[in-house]
Order: sequence, then structure tokens, then C-alpha cells
Amino acid sequence: MTPTTDGGRLITGPMLILFAALVTLPFWVQSVGLYQYLGVEVAIWMIYALGFNLLLGYGGLPSFGHGAFLGVGAYAFGLAQFHVLENLWVGLLAAILVGIVAGGIVGLFLAHRRGIYFALLTVAFGQVFWFVSLKWFSVTGGEDGLLGIPRPSADFGLVEFDLSSNLSLYYFTLAVLMIVVVALWRLVHSPFGKVVRAIKQNETRASFLGYNVRLYKWAVFTLSATTAALAGGLFAMAQQSAFPDVMNLVSSGTIVMMVLIGGGFVSFWGPVIGVTVFFVARDVIGSITETWLLWFGLMFMLSVLFKPEGVAGLWQDSSGESPA
Amino acid sequence: MAKKEDFKVSRRQLLLGSAATAGATVFGPWKHNRVYAQATDKPILLGITSDASGQFANSGASDRRGMAMAIAEFNEKGGVLGRQVETVHIDTETSPATGTRVAERFITRNEVSFLIGAVSSGVANAISQVAQKHGVVYLNTNSSSPTESGENCHRVKFVWDGNGSNFAQAAVRNAITAFGDQWLLLTNDYVWGHNTSKATRELAEAAGASIIDEILVPQGTRDFSSILLQVQQAGPKVVAAAVGGDDQKAMRQQVAQLELGNGIAWINNQQDWPDVYGLPLDNLFGVFGTTWYWNLDLPGVQDFVARYQAMFPDTRMRVPGNVFYNGYMATRELLSAVERAGTTNNIAVIKELENIKVSANDRMQHHDAFMNPNTHQMQQTIYLATANAGTENSDDMFKILSSSAPDDVADPNAEAACKMESYEDTPTYET
Amino acid sequence: MDLVPHIVNGLSLGLLFALIALGFMLIVGVMEVINLAHGSLFALGAYVAMVIINPAFADFGGIYAAYVGLPLPMRYVLAIVVAPALVAVVGMGLEVCMRRTYGKDPLYGLLLTFGAALVLEETIRLIWGPTEQVLTVPQGISGAFLFGGLIYSKYRFFAAAFALLAILLVWLFLERTPYGAVIKAGAHDSEMVRALGINLTRLRLLVFALGTALAALAGIIMTPIWGLRPHVGVDAVVPAFLIIVLGGVGSFWGAVIAGVLVGLAVGLTGSFASQWSLLSMYLLLIAVVTFRARGLFGKKSVLEL
Repeated sequence: MTPTTDGGRLITGPMLILFAALVTLPFWVQSVGLYQYLGVEVAIWMIYALGFNLLLGYGGLPSFGHGAFLGVGAYAFGLAQFHVLENLWVGLLAAILVGIVAGGIVGLFLAHRRGIYFALLTVAFGQVFWFVSLKWFSVTGGEDGLLGIPRPSADFGLVEFDLSSNLSLYYFTLAVLMIVVVALWRLVHSPFGKVVRAIKQNETRASFLGYNVRLYKWAVFTLSATTAALAGGLFAMAQQSAFPDVMNLVSSGTIVMMVLIGGGFVSFWGPVIGVTVFFVARDVIGSITETWLLWFGLMFMLSVLFKPEGVAGLWQDSSGESPA
Repeated sequence: MAKKEDFKVSRRQLLLGSAATAGATVFGPWKHNRVYAQATDKPILLGITSDASGQFANSGASDRRGMAMAIAEFNEKGGVLGRQVETVHIDTETSPATGTRVAERFITRNEVSFLIGAVSSGVANAISQVAQKHGVVYLNTNSSSPTESGENCHRVKFVWDGNGSNFAQAAVRNAITAFGDQWLLLTNDYVWGHNTSKATRELAEAAGASIIDEILVPQGTRDFSSILLQVQQAGPKVVAAAVGGDDQKAMRQQVAQLELGNGIAWINNQQDWPDVYGLPLDNLFGVFGTTWYWNLDLPGVQDFVARYQAMFPDTRMRVPGNVFYNGYMATRELLSAVERAGTTNNIAVIKELENIKVSANDRMQHHDAFMNPNTHQMQQTIYLATANAGTENSDDMFKILSSSAPDDVADPNAEAACKMESYEDTPTYET
Repeated sequence: MDLVPHIVNGLSLGLLFALIALGFMLIVGVMEVINLAHGSLFALGAYVAMVIINPAFADFGGIYAAYVGLPLPMRYVLAIVVAPALVAVVGMGLEVCMRRTYGKDPLYGLLLTFGAALVLEETIRLIWGPTEQVLTVPQGISGAFLFGGLIYSKYRFFAAAFALLAILLVWLFLERTPYGAVIKAGAHDSEMVRALGINLTRLRLLVFALGTALAALAGIIMTPIWGLRPHVGVDAVVPAFLIIVLGGVGSFWGAVIAGVLVGLAVGLTGSFASQWSLLSMYLLLIAVVTFRARGLFGKKSVLEL
């Protein structure tokens, strides 16, 4: 993940390509055999994956319990609608705040961990969140989930957009995705991002240089968890429900898989590519065979074996340039 | 979803909205009412939302076979309304989040006429919420949670299995007389477990039993030794277990090892045939419920079994069970309702389904069955069974102990809990 | 309530947990590879054993009839020996794949095994279907016995004793044989092993074979208690993971003690506050690791870098 010449810019070429593709998606999605709702989930998962890659790709910190934060965001959104105020901003703010708190607390336990112990503790925390969401059913609805979460309209004061159709929700999600993309791009190319990369390469050296390594790791973790919670809030709107199963171990492993297969280790765009590949593969292979996970697992193994840099790495090889 | 998604767009919004997304008209008006041009030669497509992986994969497969047999029978007769019936299936992975996505896909991409299939109540809820939003009729074939026809009921959803409350009604009073009044509840610590145990507790206490303890079993428990030690130390006459899914499978095996099934009377909830088929008989301890059994001495049953064997000669399960039966019956009743309605229009079909009455003969059960229009749950005969010890035929695993008429085992709380959307609040859907 | 039966029960559960973690411990300790396929190999072992005990093949010249005519205990012992050996072959295949990830970020090894876990589980589902299966055990170790007014399962005590035996045998192998000495050396210093002229490639293959065989063995032993279904592996890999972190990576006795602690925690909360029994092991882990970064007996590992 070397800094590129584009690093200083607010909007880059690949961003424009991505945005153009996504803005026009509703016009072509049906003709390629997919459907609008899938677009909503893909956009949400891109937000989640980009935030996750801040931790994995840039920080070198593998979390196997990140689904917990997605789930927490979804519950926070739903509960805010039910118990505080039925308002989009209140819901999303609740998701973000709960993400900061949950991520911040878990981050305290993880900031001085590395490698396997970091990974294992994220598993443990992920399981705790999942377990609590099942167990505390008076609040979360248990395994049935929190149902009937409304999709309040997006009120900008002067303009108000109704989000009850999947199309309008898609454009709203896309707007959030654009903000997240630009913000994360700025972040990874800021001095903060450079320190995070330095810590990934050599934690000891970074601390000798005077950086508070723990603080940086804590901040990266919390940011990543907050992004996941924001995605979770949007996911609650898409599904109009919040379910515990996005928090389980397999779901949390899936996001790692998506980011890696896309090439999160070598490119800012890895998570975006990975999410697209995963969702389309699941939809297409899944409607052909029930054993789609077998094929996806094989694909994933081959990718780790022969092209661990993922799709983005493949592209870099063939074009001889960095897509970032 | 009790909320109606009505569409209030002020002029200001409309102007600014269409300015923001130039070409918004291309998408057409954003509304839910969808009516497709009726082409009589277009097949009726059923979207099958059943699990092929996860805890309920095995039951899901059985459910699908039931649907397949009913569909084959209709297609042989020339289809429904002159249209052939076809299916599309995607694995819902025993995961509600996946259920939502699959339902959205079936409705918006495959343009299915109806959705059908469920074992897990979480998945069924997720699907029914999407189905209600679009107005698509959804058949919950095999999820036995009381909430399905209670607080999570929907105008478009119809529930075909007996639920935990029905089975408790059938079992509790008899068990107090037969086994004694000192009861212990084993409750899986999640919504289904608590609902089922609550129903049992109310009935048992009303009939004069005392509940000496309730032990909560966390979902995902694989080792029941400490819990079974507690049961022994408490020394109840009857243990009423509301433990489901994989937890139940592990518990069954451990109770069998301890031979605890002999010493204490166990009241189990429904035992799904695909979960027990082929297991040693000592795994089937105590008394449990079912809605149907392949060896019932009723007209038509033998023929039904023969049809199953002819259609699925290679299936490991050599005789059909309750899950297959529910899948078959739900599909058959749906297709008959479409035929009677003369259209696939959702409201017309819903009204037909709400008034279904099926004779005992057609149900291959001991009593007539009917759809409760206020809860959308099929009211049917509930059987109690136990292991058929000393049988020669390895397929003949159950000994049927009793049959209860639908009115005697009706869920008393369902109607109050179910707040169904009105017809007007349900979008029109037809394809 | 009498506490003793619950402590005995917790201890037996602990030994079983330690057995589940044993193969995982060996691979992570020596090779510093987190084998997420541990659970799927655990399941595969049980499925293969089931086939060996009750095969369902066409009869060729009476061989099948002769085989199923053998007494059950004999077929059971055969399964305990042969099934882990067959799974070890699968494990060796996995190790050959793993070679491409050595020297890279340890994350790649972990991800490769995650993929392998998916593939193995789906393959099991494809071959044996999603149905619940049964592993028959001989009469002598099934059934129940009465002690102090309470009923205990014979199989459970057999399983705990077997776990203890397996733990001791692995320990003896590591401590008292030349192979064990090399493995232990490899755990601490692969340069040293190479300098001694020992073939590191073969050593890794051996360790992986042994680790996966132990996973399969644990599967065979646990199946009569947990039951058998394609996704049973996830029930094994999570506790194994947890026990290793609790005990500390690279520590044999750390893993065993952690296994027993987890067993006691789950068993005793199961007896007195059963609804919290599953959560207890995670809370135990978080509590211990908060104060002891590398678990109870952990040593410094490359996996941290």
C-alpha cells in the first residue's frame, strides 16, 4: 500500500469511475440480471468493507469479530426509531454514537494487542456481542430480530426525500458511500494514515519515533468500528429489521474474505472490488447451485494461494500501474 | 410491518426531487402496486425460500420435496388456470438477513407469483416482512413458533404447522394425570423457547401442577451434563422441554446415554421427522407432538406414501414425515385457492385461503381442518406420540398415543396478539 | 445442592475441551499457523469413523458381509486408528498448500485455512447430506451407571479418560522421543532445526499430520455426545481457539490447564446459572487476557509481529 501521486487529491479518477458506475446502476442493473435491492446491500457492504480495510489493510490488524459493530449499529438505528424519535438523522446518529462507544470500549482491550492475540480477542468480543443480542431479547427481539424498523424520509430542511422505495434508499446509501470514500481517502493519505502504516510495518520503530502506538491503534479500531456501525444503521433500513446473525463468527469471517479477495492489502479499492465480486458471485452461483459456498471457498483458497493480493493485485500486474 | 407505506410527496419535494435525480421519470412512479400484464401461457412461478444449509437444512430439503410433489400433481392435470407451475429456489441459509435478500430478489427480479417455505421462525419473519411490503402471498410451511400467527402475523402470511402452544394444549393436561404434578421446565433461552415454556407453564399451573424449577438452556449448548445433573437433583415427575434445533439433537443423545428417558416423564415439543429419521429409538424419549404420521390408519395415507416413494425413490428417508406433509399440503391448498379464485391476484387468493376448510379425509388426519382468518394459522389435528419400542419395521418409529381436535388445542392467546394489516394496507400484487 | 458431582462433571468436560484443543495447539505452537479448518477436520474425522464402523458399500465377494460381521468393538477400535490417519492425509494436503504462505503475513495462512474450512464442510454436506448422523459405540462404553444416587453416563467417563490418555501420549511423544525434541526445537527456533540438518519441510508435514489426526480423534470422541452434522465443526473450533489464547500460544500445559478451566467454568455456571454457561468462557478469556497479554503460559510468538 504505497502512497500514490493521487494521495493529495480530494477526488480521484477511480473515484469518479466508481461513482459513475454506481449512479447509473439503476439503469442497467435489471438488464444484467440483477436487481435494485442487491444494489442497496452492495453499497452498504462497501461502506462496511472500506471501514474494515482501514483496520486490516492499513493497520494490519485482523478483526474476526467486526460483524458485532455492524449489528450494534443496526440495533441502535432500530431502537432509536422505536424509543427516541422516528427520524433518519436520529437513527444514523444513534448508530454512529453506539459504534463509537462500543468500538472505543473494545478498542481499549485491543490497542496493545498484536497478531494472533488481537485476532483471537476480536473473536471473543464478537461472540460476546452476538450472544448478548440473542440473549437480551426484551431489547433486541432475540433470534427473531427487531422487526418493522421504519425507513424515515431524509429531511434536509428544504428538501425531503422519501426513502421507502429501494431505489430512493439506494441513492441515499450511495451518497453516504461517496462521503465515506472521500473521507477515508483523505484519512489514509493524511499524516494520521502514514503513522498507521508505519505502525503496521514496525510497531517498535514507530513507538521509538515518539508516536503513541496504542492511541493510534485505538483510534483506528474505533473509526473502523464506527464505520461498520454506520453501515449497520443503513442495513437496518434496507432490511427494515436488525438480526443477530450478522454478528456471528461466519459473518465476521465473510467480511475478511471479501476484503482480501478484492485486494485490500494492496489497494484502497480492494474492499469495493471484493464486495462486488462476493455479492454477484453469491447471487449468480447461489441461484444455480446450493453448494455455492464450496465453489466460493475453492475460489478463495486459490486466490490466497496464487494471488494473495486479490483482484486489485491482478489488475495492478496486468496494467502495470496502481489502481489507487 | 404494521405501518402503511403511503406516499406523501409535496409539490416542493417532487420538484426538487426530480431536479436532483434528473431523469427520475425513467424509473416510473415509485409505488408498490404492481400489476403485470396477464399472459395465460406464462407459468405461475413459486419462489421457494427454504434453507439448504445451517441448522434446518435437512428439514428444508424435505419441505421442498413436499412442494415438488404437490406441484407435479397439478401440472399433470394441466396446471393451474391453464398455466404450468414452476419453481425457483435459493438457499436462505437459516439466516434472516439472507431471507430478506432472497425474498427481495424473488419478488423484484424473478417476479414470482407466491413465496413459500420456512422452518426457522426468524427467517420466516424476515421473509414475511418483505412479502407484506410488496403484497406477495407467503406460505410459512414449517415454522412452529407461536409468534408466527401471533404478534408477527401478516395479512399475506399463512402458517401451516401446529405451534408450540397447540402441542402444549394437547400434552399438558393428560401428562399431569398420567405422570404427576411436579414439573420442571427446560427452556431454550431464546424467544421460541420462552414462548413455548410460558404456554406450558400457564396450562400446567391451571391444571394444578406445580413448576418446581425452570432451567434456562443457552442457545448453542452442546454439553447438557450439568443441566441433566440439576434435573436429577431436582427430582421432578415430569420434565417439559422446549429445546430446539441443534441443541435438541445434542440433548436427545445425552438423555439417551443416561437412560434418563426411562426414569422421568419427558414432554417434548414437536419432533420433526427429518430430525429423527434413522436415529436409534432411545433418542425418541418421552412424549412428543406431531401433525401427521405416515402410518396413520386413515384412508389415503398408504397411497400418499406410495406416491412419495414413486417420486423420490433415491431419498434416504423412505417414508414422508410431517415436514414433507406440511410442504405438500400448503402448496396444494395454495394452488387450489388460486384455481377457485380464478386469478393470481393476491387479495383474491388471500380471501380464498382465509376461508379454507379441508375435510379430515383430504387432510389425512382425524379431524376436519380450517384456516383461522384472524391469525392465518391452519387449525388442525394434533397428535401425541412416543417411540415405537419393539418394532420390526425400522421406518415405523412413532407410536401414536392420541389425537386432539383443532378446537381443543387452539392457541388461546393468538387472536389477541395478532394485529393484521387491513386489505387496503396490503399492496395489490399479481403476476 | 451437592457440589462434588458438578466439579467432577466440570473436570470431565475440561478434559474433553483440552482434547478438542490439542491438535490446534500443536499446529499453532510449532508452526505458528492458526488452523481454522480444525473444526471441519474434527467433523470429517467423525464422518470417516462412522463409515468405517458402519460402511454402506456394495458387497464384493462377501468381503462386506465378513467385515460387518466383525464385532462392533473391533470396528470401533479400527475406526479410532484408521479415521485419524485418513484425515491426516487430508491435513498433509492442506500443509502442502500452506507452503505458499510461509514467510508471508501469518494472516494468509489463517485465511487459507478459513477457505479450507468452508470447502471441507460443504464437501461433507455433499457426500453425507445435511442429515443428523449417529456414531455407534460398543455396548461396554454406552449406557449409564448409578453412583451416590445420581445417574452418570459411562461414555462420558470413557471419553474423559481417553482424553487424558491422549494428552499424556502427546506429551510423552513431545518430551521423550527424538521427533518430539525436534518439534519442540522447531517451535522455538526453526533456524536451529535447519542448522542441525533436519529437514524442516518434513517436520512441518509431520506436525500438520499429527495436528489434524488429533482433530479427527477429538471429533470421533465427541460425536456420541454432541451428535454429528456437517456444521458441527464450528462448535469445536471456537472453544479450541479460545483455549489456546487462554493457555498461551506455544504452551502444552497451558492449553491443557486452560481446557480444564474452561470446562469448570462452563460446567459450574451450567449447574448454578445455566443461562450464562456459554458466555462464561468468553468472559473468562477477556478477564485473563486483560491482565496477562499472552494468556496464562504464553511465550513470545512471531504471530504477534
